[in-house]
Amino acid sequence: MSGGMERRGFLKAVGAGGAGAALAGCATDKVESLIPYVTAPEEITPGVATWYASVCGECASGCGIRVRTREGRAVMIEGNPDHPLSKGGLCSRGVAALQGLYHPDRLAAPRRAVAGGFEDISWDEALDALAERLGGASRALFLTGRQGPAEGDLLNRFVEAVGGTRLTFDPLDDVALRAAVDIGFGVKALPRYDIASARQLVSFGADFLETWLSPTAFAADFAAMHGLDHGEKGRFVFVGPRLSLTGQNADEWIPARPGSEADIALAIAGELVRNGTSAGPYTELVAGRSLAAAAAAAGVAEGALAALAVRFAEGGVLALGPGLAGSHGAAAAANLAVLVLNAAAGNVGETIHIPDAPDREAASPHGDLVEALSMMRDGAYGVAVTAGANPAYALPPAAGFREAFGAVPYKVALASVMDETAAMADLVLPVAHPLESWGDSEPAPGAYAVRQPVMSPVPLFDSRATGDVLIETGRRLGHDFGAASLREHVRAAAETRLDALGVSAEDGEVRWHSLLRTGTAAAAGSAASGSPASASAPAARRALQAPNTAAGFGAPALEGAGDLALLVHPSARFGDGTHADRPWLRELPDPVSKIMWQSWVEMNPAAAERAGIRREGEIVRVSSEHGALELPVWFSPGIREDAVAIAMGGGHENHGDFASGLANDNGVNPMTLLPAAADEQSGALSLVSVRVTVSPTGAWERLASTEGTRDAQHHQDDRRIALAVAMSALGHGEEDAGEHEGGHGQLQELQEGGGFIPVPTEGRAADFPLPGSDFGEYGQEHPRWAMVVDLDKCTGCSACVTACQAENNIPWVGERETQNGREMHWLRLERYYETVDAAEAGPLDVRFLPMLCQHCNNAPCEPVCPVFAAYHTPDGLNAQVYNRCVGTRYCANNCPYKVRVFNWYRYVSENVKEPLNWQFNPDVTVRDNGVMEKCTFCVQRIREAGNRASVEGREVRDGEIRTACQSVCPSEAIVFGNVKDPESAVALAAADERSYRVLDELINTQPAVHYLKKATFHDVDEGGH
Amino acid sequence: MKRKWLAAGTGLVSALGAVLFLGAGQTQEEDVASGGEQESQSQPIQFPHDTHAGQFRIDCQYCHFSAERSVDAGIPPVETCIGCHREGLVAGRTHPEEVAKVREFFESNTPIPWRRIYKVSDHVRFPHLRHVAAGVSCQTCHGQVQEMGVLESVAPEAGDLKMGWCVSCHLERGASRDCTVCHY
Repeated sequence: MSGGMERRGFLKAVGAGGAGAALAGCATDKVESLIPYVTAPEEITPGVATWYASVCGECASGCGIRVRTREGRAVMIEGNPDHPLSKGGLCSRGVAALQGLYHPDRLAAPRRAVAGGFEDISWDEALDALAERLGGASRALFLTGRQGPAEGDLLNRFVEAVGGTRLTFDPLDDVALRAAVDIGFGVKALPRYDIASARQLVSFGADFLETWLSPTAFAADFAAMHGLDHGEKGRFVFVGPRLSLTGQNADEWIPARPGSEADIALAIAGELVRNGTSAGPYTELVAGRSLAAAAAAAGVAEGALAALAVRFAEGGVLALGPGLAGSHGAAAAANLAVLVLNAAAGNVGETIHIPDAPDREAASPHGDLVEALSMMRDGAYGVAVTAGANPAYALPPAAGFREAFGAVPYKVALASVMDETAAMADLVLPVAHPLESWGDSEPAPGAYAVRQPVMSPVPLFDSRATGDVLIETGRRLGHDFGAASLREHVRAAAETRLDALGVSAEDGEVRWHSLLRTGTAAAAGSAASGSPASASAPAARRALQAPNTAAGFGAPALEGAGDLALLVHPSARFGDGTHADRPWLRELPDPVSKIMWQSWVEMNPAAAERAGIRREGEIVRVSSEHGALELPVWFSPGIREDAVAIAMGGGHENHGDFASGLANDNGVNPMTLLPAAADEQSGALSLVSVRVTVSPTGAWERLASTEGTRDAQHHQDDRRIALAVAMSALGHGEEDAGEHEGGHGQLQELQEGGGFIPVPTEGRAADFPLPGSDFGEYGQEHPRWAMVVDLDKCTGCSACVTACQAENNIPWVGERETQNGREMHWLRLERYYETVDAAEAGPLDVRFLPMLCQHCNNAPCEPVCPVFAAYHTPDGLNAQVYNRCVGTRYCANNCPYKVRVFNWYRYVSENVKEPLNWQFNPDVTVRDNGVMEKCTFCVQRIREAGNRASVEGREVRDGEIRTACQSVCPSEAIVFGNVKDPESAVALAAADERSYRVLDELINTQPAVHYLKKATFHDVDEGGH
Repeated sequence: MKRKWLAAGTGLVSALGAVLFLGAGQTQEEDVASGGEQESQSQPIQFPHDTHAGQFRIDCQYCHFSAERSVDAGIPPVETCIGCHREGLVAGRTHPEEVAKVREFFESNTPIPWRRIYKVSDHVRFPHLRHVAAGVSCQTCHGQVQEMGVLESVAPEAGDLKMGWCVSCHLERGASRDCTVCHY
């Protein structure tokens, strides 16, 4: 109010708004048209959603998705529960595929480079030009991303037909692991891990809940392994220098030095061997390894490793990794060491399966790329074609890609937006989004999934699928690939695949449509002996083979003179940077640091103090021999003092306005600090290869963070928000607050008097409305919607945050506004470090809590609203009526959970450019400025289910309503339903002995959201009551 | 500071959207092809509801096909019109020129840009299916459509499409008056 606005003036302004609103309600000059179909498509009923099963194309994992379309437009993506790997879960990047589909920066037409820029041309011209070049005498190089089986096959045939060379580029593929499997087991394939069947889990740094191999599938399996079930859960130990989100979910952290994975793994294998197990041809090698030496190399206490070895000896302990976190100069050796450990622990054939056949699509080792780059520079290639790959951004500049690519006479890029590689090309072909294209995937042996377009291509962008471009170009060159379109090609591939799986083919059309309906097909009963369906049986147990070269297992050397190892890691939000142009993902708080929009360097506060850095947000200079970057520092208790970490994905120069810095801070690209070094054995590009120095610059920037606490330890202090209970305290028949009946005397008295008064009482969500307050519609006959979130299963992945944003038309507000704390997420993933020590191995306790409107039965926000915009519905929702709201924000001030958000500016009308607004959910009002909003428990889904049930003359079934957050959660940590029905899943979960409600005991808000305490192996202060 | 407050106030108006009910415009002849989103006060085709729903007793849901299973009642695809008005079938006794327009739309594969008469505000949800299932006749809200010629304005039975009118009916029939039944 310092600007001189007095209260009276403020009320006048609001009053004028109200009058305007009343007028607007009366009449308007705007004439609207109702545009019908000329011929109606059979599958579309206006106002009713049509769902399509498909395969997500955002990364190579290929999770199953179900896409909700309305009137022919995709509006929401959820997981496909029928999918054998992802089992109904989805990650934030998968949900945000919608923003890739409707991205305003997508290419509208093919482009040709002309002096000083590009000009749009027609597809015919473009394909003619491409065919002419490929048909010429010069050799062609194809640099593409990993494809599904059908498209990959088409691509390989095309490359062969035109006499070209194909390299596969995917910075997130685990090249070193595949090489290690080749050395150890003789097959160039990634192993399949069965995390769900493991009793305990040890990750040597692999971020399997974020980007490694198939994170959504792993998250589901991890929940099954690690989630508390009948008083038991599997332990998870994380070994590595930095706690990624995956690491934060561990029960124990061994903060080992980067590059010490092999030492630790082999030493533990040595212990196992000394106990009588075998590590095959490596038995002798590991027997010579001692825990003491490994502990010295890793910089941790020997006792911690000995304890880990004891666990392995107990059996059923699966070792993972080290993944890209161990992508250093001895990456293949580190991976091999972990495989040797798994072999010694007897996991091969049990929880880790080595496939029989090599992977069809595998990223080429960096060494192959280096060779191709030198050939490019030497003029060996007349044409270079990139598709689904952006090496000009994703490779370290030291690799010299730009110079080499620039030397090729004719460069073609198949891309969706003008990324760094496309910007260098002579011809740019706009690629259709995976949601508009055909394709397939092989999620597991004996399973098949098909990708189908969920809508006709967005008409603003004249794009074509890569496969269609190949077929069309092939036709011009006289090559016939046996299909007139990608659709035909995929269908033919699918039919072949279904035959091989033994899926009955009485009627080909029926079988095909059944595949399209469910999105997946599995091998028919594997009992049929001799049929190819036996592919579904677990791969044969394989034995470790002797290495053909002497395995060194030496520690990797880090280059440079600095005192801090630089850990470059994939981003849980942007992957390798491909998704940095999605505003939802840019504004999604990073699951680890909770920072939005900006790049940051993660640093232990003790190391920062030594470097003279005093506060978080100070701009520091990180320099290696290859470059220097200036970026703000974030203090993390989850990183060793001798390392700093920077996530990939920032610092784009092109790739659309949101990524390149036209619309906001674009961050920095850590690849500029790296040499283009690779592991010699596998050729995997090293991400951990340099030492850096970090020095303060004196400047400071406010971090765009959702964290309320600014202390470097990120504790929740004595606030009882995210609670945990020791396993040892469970199952003693302790009385739970949720089981008390009655006890509402004082509250009832107060409610009859009206208003909210914080007094301590006991009660259950199902008891409301209390007798005495059930007047009018407020009777006992209504359901009471409630939610239970299992904090023991929640991994903090934040997919729910993005799903909520997509479902509820929640705008993003941009970097500046998030710095002001004005982000509008209805659901916030809180993260608190409770027990963490980067100096020595020990128990770890990082808590996650999805905080959304608690739908309090005794809500503090309701009585303070002067216009009754915040009120309680008869079915227990804390409702917000947008058309009543005048924006006083009293409700937000009175909310103890900080879950109400206010639209300060025209975030919707100014930020959401055409056609991003096509994604809006037509069932939810689009709010603009001046209105308070918050989680509605997806009331639109509740009403839709209610309408359907009412028309069918029945009650809403338990489980029929799934909120958006629940519908993507890979861990199935969220349960929603009617808590008044004692048989409902939510009522049963709410009665669990771990059940509690946040802050309820202090202020008696009687929330409808229950949390189940995280279960820890070590004792915690908050355990019990 | 003051400007921001005002911005917040006016922003509310746009958030509220508007109830569209279009005043009684003069019926006028106009070129079919120009009947788009311009300032037309007339329907692109002079469609007589009284002939179809009254004289020939065609069920409302024959054309408004999704009323009983969707929130939207559905505007018939041009194909539905052509089902009867195909060349050689019903040619229109009194106004063959209007039927000719329908055929022209169909043959040129152009949707008919009907002028919207009934629209509740953007922040209101009106699920047709629920009302049909509850036995509320179409006429309760849309008036005696079977006796009306070309629809140009909201029927008097529809009150003014304001909330009071909705609520009074909900009150009368014992339907819920909770805000989130319609507003979310």
